[in-house]
Amino acid sequence: MRPVAVIAASAVSARGLGWRGLGKAVRAGDTAATPCKALGGLLAAQVPPLPAAQDVEPRQLKLMSRGARLSCVAARSLFLESPALPREETGFFLGVGASGGAVEELEAMLDASFSEGRFDLGGFGTAGLGACNPLFAFQLMNNYTLCHAAIREGLRGPNAALFSRGTGTVLALAEAHHAVAAGECEVALGGGADSALHPVTWAELRREGGEDVVPGEGAALLVLADPGHAPPLGFMERCEVHSGRQGQALALESARRSLLAMSPECVVLMAMPKRRDAARELALSVRPKSVFEAASLFGETLAASAALATVAALDLLQDGEVRRAAVLVMGPDGDVGLVGLAREVAS
Amino acid sequence: MGRDAFVRGVGAVSSLGLDWTSTAAALARGESAIARVEHFDVEGFPCQVAAAVRGVAEGAEDRRREFALRAAREAWGRARVGASPERVGIFIGAESGRASFSTVLALAQAAGGGARFDHEAFGQRARELAPRIDAAAVSPAAVASMLAGELGARGPCETLSLACSSGAAAIVEGVRAIRRGEVDVALCGGVGADVDPLMLAGFGLLGALSARGVSCPFDAHRDGFVVGEGAAMVVLAAEKGDAVAAVAGVGRSLDAWHLTAPDPEGAGASMAMRAALREARIEAVDCVQAHGTSTQLNDEVEAQALRRVLGARLAEAHVSSVKGALGHWIAGAGALGFLCAVHALERDEVLPTAGLSHPDPRCELPHVLGKALSKRVGSALVNAFAFGGANTSLVMVRA
Repeated sequence: MRPVAVIAASAVSARGLGWRGLGKAVRAGDTAATPCKALGGLLAAQVPPLPAAQDVEPRQLKLMSRGARLSCVAARSLFLESPALPREETGFFLGVGASGGAVEELEAMLDASFSEGRFDLGGFGTAGLGACNPLFAFQLMNNYTLCHAAIREGLRGPNAALFSRGTGTVLALAEAHHAVAAGECEVALGGGADSALHPVTWAELRREGGEDVVPGEGAALLVLADPGHAPPLGFMERCEVHSGRQGQALALESARRSLLAMSPECVVLMAMPKRRDAARELALSVRPKSVFEAASLFGETLAASAALATVAALDLLQDGEVRRAAVLVMGPDGDVGLVGLAREVAS
Repeated sequence: MGRDAFVRGVGAVSSLGLDWTSTAAALARGESAIARVEHFDVEGFPCQVAAAVRGVAEGAEDRRREFALRAAREAWGRARVGASPERVGIFIGAESGRASFSTVLALAQAAGGGARFDHEAFGQRARELAPRIDAAAVSPAAVASMLAGELGARGPCETLSLACSSGAAAIVEGVRAIRRGEVDVALCGGVGADVDPLMLAGFGLLGALSARGVSCPFDAHRDGFVVGEGAAMVVLAAEKGDAVAAVAGVGRSLDAWHLTAPDPEGAGASMAMRAALREARIEAVDCVQAHGTSTQLNDEVEAQALRRVLGARLAEAHVSSVKGALGHWIAGAGALGFLCAVHALERDEVLPTAGLSHPDPRCELPHVLGKALSKRVGSALVNAFAFGGANTSLVMVRA
């Protein structure tokens, strides 16, 4: 995998809009969780109110899941900050989460489907459908997290929406990397967007992750290009996923060999609570100068997690304190994702 | 461009047959599986027909996995490939499965059932319902993970969630992984299991379904698509073996135009087709497996884009869409189209467009009507265009 340049980035997280400062916050072990009304007061890393310049127009909100809205905000922020970025043939590879449809809509639809205290499928087909926002389906389709942002920003190049609960977004970053490296496009956006604050998503996450999971939400994008296209913020050298399907030990050993080859000065971890010890042990095994846990800042953000951790690592490179950084992602499925960044590469 | 990706085996589960051989035979005869939905009450639904798979996975918690597993076993059995587990990748197009209807209902009612949604009450009551959400049944990734476990594959495992482009996009990812040398064998494909009340409701709300209950791509009387379901799988490999077909070009683009409507100029669709043809280094094909949904605008725009891209060479290409017979498989649609193109190359037989009897003059193309057409096929183009404007095209040639 030949390195490609990272020429711009954007993020929206519990810290608000912007990616600069996220590395410093991760390094400091900051947390951003606040009580979440939608989850009955549970602590969650929620995105604060969004600035109008980046946020989605109010009439569009009924068309979008929360993840799609955050993806749109990250993309708008990117192009506002880097107006010279090309759009027409730019690639767009995004890790996306599932569903996110407004429960109010579902409830209205089902509520109208009751007859004499019993759910009636015939009533669902008539009164139920009539009670629902006809645009509800858009909120439910995973690819719209990518397509809303593409439509809003006029992105027309090669693309993929990869389903992600963590490491799927590392694959999305890898696809963006490959698309540039293979000459399929000169510039590609890679990243992820998601919200674990949706009640169904959170219920599923909690079931797997236990009581200690702090749900979060966010989106982050990195712009990849051939070296020489624009002044680089850093370089992406590696992007890979080590399968945990045949047992965690094999995945960890395979990832350890890759991590060793990256020789990172620091490792940014993004792992579910029950995998955090294994992730830390893996990171420490290659003797980096420092290991930082990003989940305390971002919460468990599923499809956004790898991208948020990567922009935080990019920020650490920008601060000049490290020259090589790795991002280590362990999602709920046991796969291990690695992203290797460097401030410079040999020309 | 790297190594070639050869088609070593295919498999399918459809409403016309529980394997690809019987499905293809029925398609060649011009049969259609579209019929009134009988396994749940569709009274009041905007569209009351579908191409439902019966006789397998009935009552299963996650029908996607049952369909995909059966199709994958067929494809894998035919492929006769050997590779170490690390060199086998899984690339699947899939959307979310559904929590059981009773769980969805219980979750929705957790808010109190009043006129106003009570977030706080919902948050508290939803916790009690958490154990009822079966992640393996609702996650799009569950299908790919299950198949990786079944085959013992330890290479990359990707789930493409690109709506109607998912299956084709998954095949693209498999092709690219083989070309890069990342894997030697890729199980690719797509699956849809959407003949259920929530999906019929969702697409019905959008007004995308045929009110007449007829799927007739490119026909003058078309008025929307009909939901279908099934799985289509293909094993690609770097080693040719006895393969007849190979993937020679892939193209992907975004319309960046509208949430449901295609760009009326067909610019995105044209861009994907041109990229695939350019990569394949050919300017014409012998047949086209069109996306052809049977919706007014999509079919017209696709026909226009095909005319523009292939120009005078369009006359050499026979065009068909499988959705007239099997409905629209959504995440599985592109993979099903791919199998139809493989069939054309392997059998020198272009499958027909069922339901098409009065071609729309605005969709003027060399259609295949009635029954399959026998002709020498050396190359084929496959299109898959998704809601939201994500377009995927693949070009196949004789290996």
